[in-house]
Amino acid sequence: MLDILHPKISNINKNNIDINLSEEKIKINIRGKNKEFFTKVGKILSIILPSETNTSSSNENYDVLWLSPDEWMIYFDENKNTNIFDQLYKDISTLNVGSITDISSQLICINIKGENIFELLSSGSPFNFEKFKNNVGSSTQTLVNHIDVILHHKSKNNVNLFVRRSFSEHLYEWLVDSSNFI
Amino acid sequence: MFLINCPFCGERDQSEFSSGGEAHIVRPKQPTELSDDEWAEYLFMRKNIKGIQFERWNHAHGCRKWFNVVRDTSNDKILSVYKMGEKPPVNYK
Amino acid sequence: MPNYRIHKTEYIDETKRVSFKYDGKTYFGCEGDTLASALLANGIHLVGRSFKYHRPRGIVSCGAEEPNAICQIGSKKDLTEPNVRATELELYEGLEASSQNCWPNVKFDIGGINNFISPLIPAGFYYKTFMWPKSFWKKVYEPLIRLSAGLGKSPTEPDPDIYDHKHVHYDVLVIGGGISGIIAAKMAAKNNLKTLLVDDKKILGGSTIYQNNEAIKIDDKLSSEWLKNEIQEINKLSNLTIKTRTSIAAYHGYNFLLAKENLTDHLPEEKKKNKIRQRLWKIRAKKVVIATGSIERPLVFNNNDRPGILLSNSINKYLDFYGVSCGENIILFTNNDSAYETSISLHKKGIKNLIVDLRKSASSELIKQAESLGIRIYFNHVVTNTFGYRKINSLEIMKLSEDGNTTVGNKIKLSCDCLGMSGGWTPMVHMHTQSGGKLNFRDDDQVFLPKENSEDQISVGSCNGDFDLENIIDKTVNKINKFLDIDNQDYQDTNIICSKENDKRNIWLLPNKIPLGKTKCFIDFQNDSTAKDIKLALKEGFRSIEHVKRYTTTGMATDQGKLSNMHALGIIADTAGVKMGTLGTTTFRPPFTPLTFGTLVGRNVGKFFEVVRKTSMHEWHVENNAEFENVGQWKRPWYYPKKGENMHDAVQRESKAARDSAGILDASTLGKIDIQGTDASEFLNRVYTNAWSKLAIGKCRYGLMLNEDGMVYDDGVTTRISENHYLMTTTTGGAANVLSKLEDYLQTEWPELDVYLTSVTDHYSTASICGPNSKKILNKLFPNLDLSDENFPHMSFKEDKLENINCRIMRISFTGEQSYEINIEAKYGHSLWKMCIEAGKEFNLTPYGTETMHLLRAEKGFIIVGQDTDGTMTPSDLQMDWIVSKKKFDFIGKRSLYRSDTVREDRKQLVGLLTDDPKEILEEGAQIVSDVKSKPIDMLGHVTSSYFSPNLNKSIALAVVRSGKTMKGQKLIIPMENKNINVTVSDTIFLDKENKRLNA
Ligand SMILES: [Zn+2]
Repeated sequence: MLDILHPKISNINKNNIDINLSEEKIKINIRGKNKEFFTKVGKILSIILPSETNTSSSNENYDVLWLSPDEWMIYFDENKNTNIFDQLYKDISTLNVGSITDISSQLICINIKGENIFELLSSGSPFNFEKFKNNVGSSTQTLVNHIDVILHHKSKNNVNLFVRRSFSEHLYEWLVDSSNFI
Repeated sequence: MFLINCPFCGERDQSEFSSGGEAHIVRPKQPTELSDDEWAEYLFMRKNIKGIQFERWNHAHGCRKWFNVVRDTSNDKILSVYKMGEKPPVNYK
Repeated sequence: MPNYRIHKTEYIDETKRVSFKYDGKTYFGCEGDTLASALLANGIHLVGRSFKYHRPRGIVSCGAEEPNAICQIGSKKDLTEPNVRATELELYEGLEASSQNCWPNVKFDIGGINNFISPLIPAGFYYKTFMWPKSFWKKVYEPLIRLSAGLGKSPTEPDPDIYDHKHVHYDVLVIGGGISGIIAAKMAAKNNLKTLLVDDKKILGGSTIYQNNEAIKIDDKLSSEWLKNEIQEINKLSNLTIKTRTSIAAYHGYNFLLAKENLTDHLPEEKKKNKIRQRLWKIRAKKVVIATGSIERPLVFNNNDRPGILLSNSINKYLDFYGVSCGENIILFTNNDSAYETSISLHKKGIKNLIVDLRKSASSELIKQAESLGIRIYFNHVVTNTFGYRKINSLEIMKLSEDGNTTVGNKIKLSCDCLGMSGGWTPMVHMHTQSGGKLNFRDDDQVFLPKENSEDQISVGSCNGDFDLENIIDKTVNKINKFLDIDNQDYQDTNIICSKENDKRNIWLLPNKIPLGKTKCFIDFQNDSTAKDIKLALKEGFRSIEHVKRYTTTGMATDQGKLSNMHALGIIADTAGVKMGTLGTTTFRPPFTPLTFGTLVGRNVGKFFEVVRKTSMHEWHVENNAEFENVGQWKRPWYYPKKGENMHDAVQRESKAARDSAGILDASTLGKIDIQGTDASEFLNRVYTNAWSKLAIGKCRYGLMLNEDGMVYDDGVTTRISENHYLMTTTTGGAANVLSKLEDYLQTEWPELDVYLTSVTDHYSTASICGPNSKKILNKLFPNLDLSDENFPHMSFKEDKLENINCRIMRISFTGEQSYEINIEAKYGHSLWKMCIEAGKEFNLTPYGTETMHLLRAEKGFIIVGQDTDGTMTPSDLQMDWIVSKKKFDFIGKRSLYRSDTVREDRKQLVGLLTDDPKEILEEGAQIVSDVKSKPIDMLGHVTSSYFSPNLNKSIALAVVRSGKTMKGQKLIIPMENKNINVTVSDTIFLDKENKRLNA
């Protein structure tokens, strides 16, 4: 019987920091440059891909993060729309308008929330969170404890942290350890 | 530890970047037509300037984009950054 | 017990007695003391022996510049710490400290004999004496030096303390919480700038905070009172963060600074537990204000190092801040006004003192005050000698000649129990120079000053050479307004009264009737270098300050010459007859004060020492007793020992099972890159040595990737999923670098190509099943999949579902056996693995690790990039010419393949080796020769891979050997420590050359 095994990440709550595994999410990497690409993606997702550095756009279904001038990541709950990947792949990849890659298992989403989360992240990240923490919707890629992460400021003091699956347990343990010393 | 102004993401800590050596060394279009010496010139010969140097950097832990940097190696000041394919700023020679 | 605590101050709580041990004896101090002030309160000056001559030494200062009072804290094997300055260590209940560098004890020290043979130990003594004979080094000199030298003991067990790091970002960082730092911080914070103020002491205020002279007033208040008000005000500023007990360790470019915050060093043992001991702050500041103050200079005269000789201002601080008198009969020896403040303070507390002043005469408010109090002043006099072994008990002074070059008249002998010296002030320009700033020399008072050349940092206060209070405040306010581009009016109407110093006289090496060779005029107390040593170095031809420093070791001790550098420079300048400003200074390197390793490492210890990557199957491997190997950051199963098996047994069993029936390997760690775009095929043509355009959809191909220099860089199998969609695999260790290299080419050399690369390494988990029974196992898992060789041949790819989940199955082989790699979305990886194991039970499906994988592929002669290659091997060197396309116009590295050097016939080339004794296993890395007698021995190459093959029942090895391609059948020798091993060069493929097993 085939079943799912998530990384060993359990809920931790201390020093005004709440750390949770937030899986059951589809993540899709979207690449493209031309006008046709933007139009098609916009139509399929009913969302305009954010063009501004370190930002995101959201609607009731999807969150889209800017990753680079020709790269975005969308993520959403897996029970929301399961065939959106196939639709995107068909209209973008197959028609050579851009590139669509399923990275749902590539990245693990760890939700961290609470007043002290930016203190927590700052103990392992050189990123300047000054602006980021004042702007809900900010997104960024940076390093936390030497590990690549994508951060999305979902709502006030509530951040979705995406990290490669293989690093996720190590980073989680580090986050838990760090939250002892805020 | 430099602060590097990624042309796509803005100012970030040097630890997010990796360095790619001297900039504006174009890969020959027809390598097979080059003599050993000409190919070696492309392959091995690099300047090592005290002063203003043009370099390639990659925002490896960010947007993954490569870009160019003008850096004064005598004081490590980064004077300018510009995207791949863009012409180097003329005021630095 | 004597008590030198003579009055109450607000910084010492006399009601709270603190007991501590020093050199095994129990003493009491008070809350608020440093170890040094507590020792002085107990009348203890003698705290150590000097490094070279083992002379008795006492506390000299009250801060980071302390050269003598360095001690060993604690005695536990894991927590003891050497080289702690007693002047900086806050006293706590139960503190145990001992003096360093003296054996058997501080009062009777065997090394002290060096003092009497000291004429034999001039500068460069160690260099000169221990040069010859060479053989003496190891056996005689080194043990001797090691026995008598050394500063303290390192802990021998791991540090149990916790350390932490934190990144912070500020608009303005102010270094130093003295009067100018406080003003700067207040101005910045009040102007809406996010500001951080750091100070290494427990409380802010610098030297102003205990200032109590009536001649120095701000707004009609004592400057200390005024400053206390200011401190109260800045404590209320919400924009301002104040960190005390925090010192800047390093100032790097781009205003990146490291600060060490002491969090528990001042707490008693039981309160330190489970807390962070020290935190390293990684500070990025848009602007930095340096307000680090200045350090008082000693004076250089004969026997200036006896216990009881301190810096004059330190005597003042011990008195007015800690309430401790350093003696009962004190002499102050000075060349400037600041000793007069000390003198007046001592006088007010009823302590007998007098002043010896180098200057011919002097007038200022302070001097008038001292004169009116009846304090005896010897103008135009110099101290020529001091007496007293364990503590100073008297000294001699003489009159100075008109030019100051010699002494005149009669000696006057004065008794004393303490001598305060003040040779002027040295601005602490360390931070400025660490940041890359240059210095100017001011002849007037012989100081190096920051040369302002940066928009990002500025020096204010006495570290900028502004010494009197009026100057300090006015200039700080003006400079900060300009620097921060603000218009703060807070200090517009501040009324400052202070004494102005009008007279100066500086003599670096004070004159003496005794010949220099017979004097002990110390410059560097910690490293025991004297004026004589410096002069000797110059005489021997050293000129550069950097050379003199190293030859005499001046300024090279743990205090980095904070007290000695200026005098060394001054004496060099005087002797060489050059202007001091033209000499330059030695480089001030970080850290400003020593840091513990713990602080630098932070929490990256224990399980966080290295980042760890795990596959989805990791738990299963752990449960099944796998030993792990680190491959890059990955934890990969190395082998799975069964009960009683050692590594060799396990690997032999695994390897045999894989060829006899079936084996399974966790191949999830291989790098995987999703490649899409209309130019994907063309892109692969350019990055691999072979051709890709004609690869059919659903087929796989092995590719070799080179660097532009023609050397093998990476390898792996790439699968064509659809017309413009490929999946590339890379080596485990090379994954990140390959992706970055490919992105580099795409973005910079070939931006015209329509190709997108996305890493999917972690998205898929991969179970690789090989062996003659692999097909049967696959059939159990995928009953609907036609596994016939016609439908699903070697080097092809199928998609099928396991239950409802898509799997990508590649029939590719790294073992030479029939083999299938099943890729599934990683969240199902663990489950897939378990299903494979279950399905394989009846076929003895054996999990195997990286060691068996290496063995199996070596039997087949497959290379491992990074093991059999080292960045100097071309495809031809590896006997892989078959994979290099002759037709392709270009690919990365192509042109290099026919450079004159790459076509050399005598390059090192990959060969197989068979040992004459089939049981003999070669050591990887062993050298290969053809003749052991030739001198020097001609080294032909080395062994790259070596195993005992259970399937061939003999030892096999791969090696790189000069001209190896032409040597098949030749005998070679592997010389080992105790024997020579005879080998024969063979083909690289040891098993199934015809590839029959792939389709068996
Ligand atoms: Zn970037």
